[in-house]
Amino acid sequence: MSGTTRAIGASTPRLDAADKATGRAEYADDVARPGMLYAAIHTSPHAHARIRGYRLEAARAIPGVKAIVTGADLAGPHCGGIIKDESMVARGKVRYVGEPVAAVAATDPETAGRAAAAIEVDYEPLEPVLSIDAALAPGAPLLHEDYPSYVKTVQGGGHGNVVFESTVEEGDVERGFAECDTIVEATWETQAQHHVYLETNGCVADVDASGRITLYATCQSVHHIQQRVAEELGEPMSRIRVRATRVGGGFGGKHASNIHSIAAWLARAARRPVKLVLSRMQDFEIQRSRHPARVWMRTGARRDGTILARDVRVTIDGGAYADESPPVLAFALLMSRGPYRIPNVRARGAAVYTNKLRAGSFRGFGNPQASFAGESQIDELARALGLDPVELRLKNAMRPGDTAFGGQQVPSCVLRECIERVRAAQRAAPPLAPRPGRRRGVGYAALSHISGLMGTAASVQLRTDGSIALATGCVDIGQGSDTVLVQICADALSVPIDRVSYAPQDSDSSPYNWKTAGSRSTYMTGRAVALATHELRAKMLAHAGDMMECAVEDLELRPGGLVGLKGLPKAVSFKEVALRSLFHSGGPIAATHGFVFDGPGFDPKRAAIHQLAFANLGVYTYGAHCVEVDVDEATGAVEVRRAWCAHDPGRAINPAACEGQIQGGFVQGIGYALTEAMHWNAEGWLTTTTLADYKVPGVLDCPVEILPILLEDPDPTHPVGAKGVGEISLVGAAPAIANAVADATGARVRRLPMFPERVLAAIDARA
Amino acid sequence: MSALARLHRPATVEEAVRLLAGGDGERTRLLAGGATLVAMLNAGLVDPAELVSLAAVDELRGIGTLPDGGLRIGAMTRHRETAADVRLAGTLAVLREAAARIANPVVRNMGTIGGSISFADPAADYPPALVAADAAVEIAGPQGRRRVPAREFFVDWYATALGPNEMVTAILLAPRAPGLGSYDKLYRVAGDYAIVSVALSVAWRDGACARAGLAVGGCGPRPLHLDEADELLRAGRLGAQAARRAGELLAAAADPLDDVRASAAYRRRVIPRMVERALAAARDELSRTA
Repeated sequence: MSGTTRAIGASTPRLDAADKATGRAEYADDVARPGMLYAAIHTSPHAHARIRGYRLEAARAIPGVKAIVTGADLAGPHCGGIIKDESMVARGKVRYVGEPVAAVAATDPETAGRAAAAIEVDYEPLEPVLSIDAALAPGAPLLHEDYPSYVKTVQGGGHGNVVFESTVEEGDVERGFAECDTIVEATWETQAQHHVYLETNGCVADVDASGRITLYATCQSVHHIQQRVAEELGEPMSRIRVRATRVGGGFGGKHASNIHSIAAWLARAARRPVKLVLSRMQDFEIQRSRHPARVWMRTGARRDGTILARDVRVTIDGGAYADESPPVLAFALLMSRGPYRIPNVRARGAAVYTNKLRAGSFRGFGNPQASFAGESQIDELARALGLDPVELRLKNAMRPGDTAFGGQQVPSCVLRECIERVRAAQRAAPPLAPRPGRRRGVGYAALSHISGLMGTAASVQLRTDGSIALATGCVDIGQGSDTVLVQICADALSVPIDRVSYAPQDSDSSPYNWKTAGSRSTYMTGRAVALATHELRAKMLAHAGDMMECAVEDLELRPGGLVGLKGLPKAVSFKEVALRSLFHSGGPIAATHGFVFDGPGFDPKRAAIHQLAFANLGVYTYGAHCVEVDVDEATGAVEVRRAWCAHDPGRAINPAACEGQIQGGFVQGIGYALTEAMHWNAEGWLTTTTLADYKVPGVLDCPVEILPILLEDPDPTHPVGAKGVGEISLVGAAPAIANAVADATGARVRRLPMFPERVLAAIDARA
Repeated sequence: MSALARLHRPATVEEAVRLLAGGDGERTRLLAGGATLVAMLNAGLVDPAELVSLAAVDELRGIGTLPDGGLRIGAMTRHRETAADVRLAGTLAVLREAAARIANPVVRNMGTIGGSISFADPAADYPPALVAADAAVEIAGPQGRRRVPAREFFVDWYATALGPNEMVTAILLAPRAPGLGSYDKLYRVAGDYAIVSVALSVAWRDGACARAGLAVGGCGPRPLHLDEADELLRAGRLGAQAARRAGELLAAAADPLDDVRASAAYRRRVIPRMVERALAAARDELSRTA
């Protein structure tokens, strides 16, 4: 290929940036259809109660009310992910304050709101279960009496209020500890964090004369929403079409929602379009959070710092419904070994039901909880051994060819380089002036994550003028996948990116994609795009060979959409190739590539795995964070001053987008570490339902210098070597900050967020 | 808002007061900058039938110098203007620093001092600053104008000395004296209301403390202030021992709540530490400028 300007590796501005910056981008709330109704939700005032009955007369009597739905109208099976335990509106029982109980569609939002408020529900309050301990207490009230009869796609050994239990074990932990000179042990607690995407969840359901529904939704997968709505409405998927709007942030919080089925149901009932956009307060109340977790961990090493054994117990609070709890638990266990060579590891865990908002997927997916504990414990182990925490990490760090926890071999691993690079960068930086009353500390965290799982596909077509039409099911939720996928496609054909169109996601036409989740878009869908484009290129070259009467081996792509004869000026344009295929011979040139993650699976000879909720996942990526903090001696307030974040994106398709992901992830990690916490009161009411109560760090709360370092080590299983960095960048913030606080003060904070109050208490406890 | 409220736009204070008096009590609301009221409307926390906008009342705008050299800050003066006014120096700098710490640029461009103090959130930035500076609040009502010291204006959680159909028209400040003012805020994120705030105003002449005003925000129903603490600081020339004692007195007098920002116990613990820090910084500054 003689291309001089490669699309891959260029920090191309986002394709959607100008539309978003100028307000032209269409989000869910911008969608309007003629005759559109507005939905409002009646939510539960009880954390736990039996529904005895509904009185709808008053609501029905309000002029303008066109449709009402309650749990009494639902006859089909429950829905959900691995455990089908929920429905779009509560049936029989409510299990958290804010749970949708009924919904109304009316001619305007005010009428809908009044009608929703006029619905009367007769409840029999039950004792709420509001913590992990309460859920596991003997004789605890059961949230799901029908648990045994729920459909489960994976059996997880649930019982009582336990949703799921998993175990991963390698080696012999007891024997490993017996050989250790030093053992440390502690328990960490983490909180519920909300995604706080700028755009709340919302959708518009339209219905045609035949009753077929089209849903416009801000979401992370049109295919996933389509499947769920079809299931809840008892329709074949062919009767439900889902189209993605622009998405104002997802972070895992838009993978599913009650609202899609509610809007679709009301539209079908009223035979009119229905809009349902959640207020910020309702989004807090009915969507999802990161799982609160308790992680107990014990790690032992020889005197020289060789880590021999780790024992882990993870308990996550899943809230009222299972949702993503089984896979989050499983992933937390897989990540609990950390990116280290530890021969003997046992990780056991349980997810429990409580009468709170369900927890679900959220950037990091169990890894932030596990890594907060694990990376804090590495520092504590180093202190107990009298070793430098960075040297301890380097000594035990995984290397290429090692195996991940679970037994998969890892071909590419630049962990040691990441750790060394952040340390060198911190040491080389001009020191910040000390500040009176503040103690300075430096902290590190070493990280790993995955970027390969589940299935995806891409299709490419050659258009009449030689342009390329690319389509995938990958929804850009703000992370930049539209741009990156177009860059991969354009690069494979040596054309500028403006010669490639990218189709918005539509379940009628988009190739299947599981979800924008799991840091998988660049690896999974990017791989499908590259391979589909390679196939398209081969077909184009075959045409060009016929046209120039030469062998395909003698052809080369030339920049700007030309196929040339090697060594000669002779060439045909993509346009000529297209015209030939369309009007002369061969037919339209198109290619599709789809696959399901095909990396090496868990190794049963190495790891005893019990109920893991994943068939397979992999494509491990590594990173290291280093932070400098100031701790206010008087108040315990922590300020992050600078951060260095080294990551391995395999190959950075768009370096600026990579760096943006790293900085954004780190900032969300600062929120997790220091300020963000959802809080429920003793009655089970969520008290942090506005952005006045729930605090996300702003620009003044973040260091000016969050310095990404990209260590590119192309992944051999990806056509252009790329891996994902979307989640791992969040994971390191909390443990690195906690380690820096300990470095500054000698105080160990084991509970998130590290509110000033908790830091001060830890400083007191030190004495 | 179930229906749009009726909007009035009086041109004078007297007209505004008449509209208030002619209205339906709580359902008639003054609209100043809207920084708080509009947020409350959006959240459905208030449902006014009538809004009396003060945007066209010229008298309420801007910061003027009084004949005695003091300053008069009109009730409709935006936080941004207060934060930028160089006349707020010396003992009055506390007000300027507090204004600069309110929320974010959008709120500072819209919010007004009259609106802010009428809402009287004890965790807001102006109340302790006005108490420390010993400002007075000018009030207009059906009976005419009156003045109330800031130290008496804030009476309880979200409650002020404003009587029925009264409104704040201005903040009155005595001529600035040499010395300093400072405002420190402990917060969850920048721009949030205070967990604890410490406002300090010190008049300093010939190496002696002529007057000290110390007030703490976020720790009870109203700005925390003790004449005894001020006098300790003055007599002790802001010394470390006086600072410690003043902090202890204020912490003992504090009546904070456990809330989403922090626990009451933590606030009590932090008050003396922040007070000591504020006074240490003041001593530093005075020794540098002396």
